[in-house]
Amino acid sequence: MTNIGQLERNLLVVAGIIMLHGVAAVSLAHGVINYIALGAICSIFAGFMLVNTLLRRMGHAGDPLLLPLTALLVSIGLTTIFRLRPDLFLVQVIWIGVGLSVFLVSVFLSRRLEQVAYFKYICGFIGVSLLLTAIVFGVDIGGHKSWVIIGPIRFQPSEFAKIFIVLFLAAYLSERRELLTHATRHYGPLVLPHPRFVAPLIAVWGITMLMFILQRDMGAALLYFGIAILMAYMVSGRLSYVIIGLVLFLIGSVICYKLYSHIQIRVDIWLNPWADPNGGAYQIVQSLFALGSGGIMGTGLTYGFPGMIPEVHTDFIFAAIGEEMGLMGAGAVIIIYIILIYRAFRASLLSIMPFSMMVAGGLAVSMALQIFLIIGGVIKFFPLTGITLPFISYGGSSIVSNFILLGMLFSISEVRCYDAK
Amino acid sequence: MMRNDMNHIADNIRKVALGLVGLLLSLLIYLSYIQVVESEFLATHPLNRRTAEIARMIPYGMIVDRHGDKLAYSQREGDVFKRKYPYEAMTAQVVGYDSSTYGKSGIEGTFNSYLTGNNNAMAHLGAISHLFANKAGNNVVLTLDVKLQEIAYKALGNHRGAVIAINPRTGAILAMVSKPSFDPNQIDQEWKSISTNENSPLLNRVTQGLYPPGSTIKVMIAEAALKEKVIDLNRTIDCEGILKIPPDYTLQESHLESYGKINLTEALAVSSNVFFGTISLELGRSKMANAFERFGFKQPVSQELQETASHLPNFSSLGNGDLAQTGIGQGSLLVTPLRMAMLASSFANKGVIMKPYLVDKITDPDGTVIKSYSQEEWLTVTSPQLAEDINKMMIKVVESGTGKSASLPGIIVAGKTGTAENAQGDSHAWFIGFAPANNPQIAIAVIVENAGYGGSIAAPIARQVFRAALQ
Repeated sequence: MTNIGQLERNLLVVAGIIMLHGVAAVSLAHGVINYIALGAICSIFAGFMLVNTLLRRMGHAGDPLLLPLTALLVSIGLTTIFRLRPDLFLVQVIWIGVGLSVFLVSVFLSRRLEQVAYFKYICGFIGVSLLLTAIVFGVDIGGHKSWVIIGPIRFQPSEFAKIFIVLFLAAYLSERRELLTHATRHYGPLVLPHPRFVAPLIAVWGITMLMFILQRDMGAALLYFGIAILMAYMVSGRLSYVIIGLVLFLIGSVICYKLYSHIQIRVDIWLNPWADPNGGAYQIVQSLFALGSGGIMGTGLTYGFPGMIPEVHTDFIFAAIGEEMGLMGAGAVIIIYIILIYRAFRASLLSIMPFSMMVAGGLAVSMALQIFLIIGGVIKFFPLTGITLPFISYGGSSIVSNFILLGMLFSISEVRCYDAK
Repeated sequence: MMRNDMNHIADNIRKVALGLVGLLLSLLIYLSYIQVVESEFLATHPLNRRTAEIARMIPYGMIVDRHGDKLAYSQREGDVFKRKYPYEAMTAQVVGYDSSTYGKSGIEGTFNSYLTGNNNAMAHLGAISHLFANKAGNNVVLTLDVKLQEIAYKALGNHRGAVIAINPRTGAILAMVSKPSFDPNQIDQEWKSISTNENSPLLNRVTQGLYPPGSTIKVMIAEAALKEKVIDLNRTIDCEGILKIPPDYTLQESHLESYGKINLTEALAVSSNVFFGTISLELGRSKMANAFERFGFKQPVSQELQETASHLPNFSSLGNGDLAQTGIGQGSLLVTPLRMAMLASSFANKGVIMKPYLVDKITDPDGTVIKSYSQEEWLTVTSPQLAEDINKMMIKVVESGTGKSASLPGIIVAGKTGTAENAQGDSHAWFIGFAPANNPQIAIAVIVENAGYGGSIAAPIARQVFRAALQ
């Protein structure tokens, strides 16, 4: 166990050096050493080390890669935000500090994760309420209505809703896994489970369609629907769920495409951004210019022009990384995410309880899909959606919710260690 | 059962994990495609403002005249450098403009890569390339003499028109004026009025304006007639003011004067239409076509000057009337002022046309010459003897003929006037010539649009330029 703690600490030091180096490089390129920024970076590093020490002292034996990988992503994110929006840098540092504390709380609470299964309907209710809040009270910022503003607080409920939805689905599906697998009805060539058991899936589909239409948030809609379908598949192993799900989503999408001009515009922009490069396709075209100008090696930090991309510090931060750090940097980000997701699935696979197995699997799916949708949108692999890049994009909701998610994964990954002893 | 069940779920999770990692790997592949294969296309796309922005981070090189006077330079304004043109409208079409919105023109455009010091060789090194980046662009040294440019610009007054002065021995362009002009410092603010102005201030009339040459072409016709031996210096033709060309065409002297029996020298001095119409007909279609070809009117002279091609009639199908018209510079013949200055310089330089050039050399910010453009012979159009003969005739034009108002005390000036009728209203006034005739230093072409007689409007402008150049 000390070995694991030591490994984690060493890896955190590597991530810390990268963080320090990134902020120092941006600072030096501007010709002034920003001591406040360097101080802030040191406190973040100290924060990570403190979390490591606290967890290991208290005998926690979670996956030693999760925290260092996150620290690496946070380093890249902070460096990029410091370069793009120095005015938001300290705010982001504070959010990461909050995130680390929330991570600790999340780790401790998740040790009794199995008990959450009893409150699955509450989780489901909270998740759906959060989504509905966004739909009903959503304010349009940057093209999609995913923000809720309550007095001085503004947050994106969908970032938090995914955790509750995953918890609910994990509990519901793992309880009913046999019914889902075996109790089927035959409709001609189709083999379907009894409608009662797929009701929650239909409900999630309904909500995501609402998000699609009312919130113009195609990314979040696809994210939630994808989570639901893939979790159902995990439990049942029935590919027909995935296929039926995709067909349903496709039908919904085609109907929406026919009915709503804003969805048509999104798709048309994706298919041919060069038709209107200064109009609707401006953002994606600028993003492609940034990536192309960066090339393999990048222009070097502060030597690019990512400022030409609107919303670059939130939804389009990946394009800024691609421009100034090149394929080397942007590719590294994708690889770090792949390793992180691999570790998340590993935690799931090594879990001994079906519920925690499903929770970790669901969280891994949610993270992977979110990363795929946003990076795919930024590089025009996929129609553009408005979601954040976990641990890198600027924004409190995203940082805090992802640290909660990470805490749960960490906690699940340690369960098997106790088991192994 | 429980264990089996768990294994079953684990298998499914493994499949989902593989699928999702596959999705992320496909992103990595697509990203590599964008940043490696598509990189060049995207980085150099005309809508990608980055190249222009990078260029704005360092000062561009200067554009200077032959004496080092700055015609264009970069000045820091806040974080970026802005282009300044101290001579404003005077050198606008030659030096060009530089606008982030409307692009570049003139030397700013054609020598952009030198001026910005763009060095793409190191670009693939990423951040390391900044160690080798240029701190400033290279300077472009022109052959232009901005003092002479100023004299010519002022001499044109408020007329539309153009003046070009060349050193006939080297081809170096000493002055290149086109009016009306515009202030390149104000290009962004005043683009709309500049670009839509019906007098086309953006047009460099010297290289892009096409005009009928009128009587100035007679110097070439005289050379052709002598070379082809359809006439000698002694033969006279009776010029009675009108030349009837069957079936139904008549050519007249401009004021129906009757010059009587005159030889070639006298005919050029008074610019007799009847005389040159007659010898054009005697020359015939193929020898006329041959003369235009010999003097290079059919071939482009220089990429950098971006000259508009001359418009020549289709000689083989030309009627007699139109042939005679071409011989006096009318009909469908259209040429640029640059070509007429080159025609004048051929007689000043013993029958050899030097390639006209505007850029003398490129120097780096420390003053080291990176590239220099040496003088270059373009065409040998006639023999030294015939050039000398035409030279003498052109001296007569200024001494006692239509070009008197180009004469200067103590300097022998050679020239030829022209009054070109055109479809756009009053005649264009022309003057071509060179000085001193016995040791030519400067050859010139002046055109003043819709201003009347070449002898009274264009010749005095040429005289001012000659005087300034030969002081």
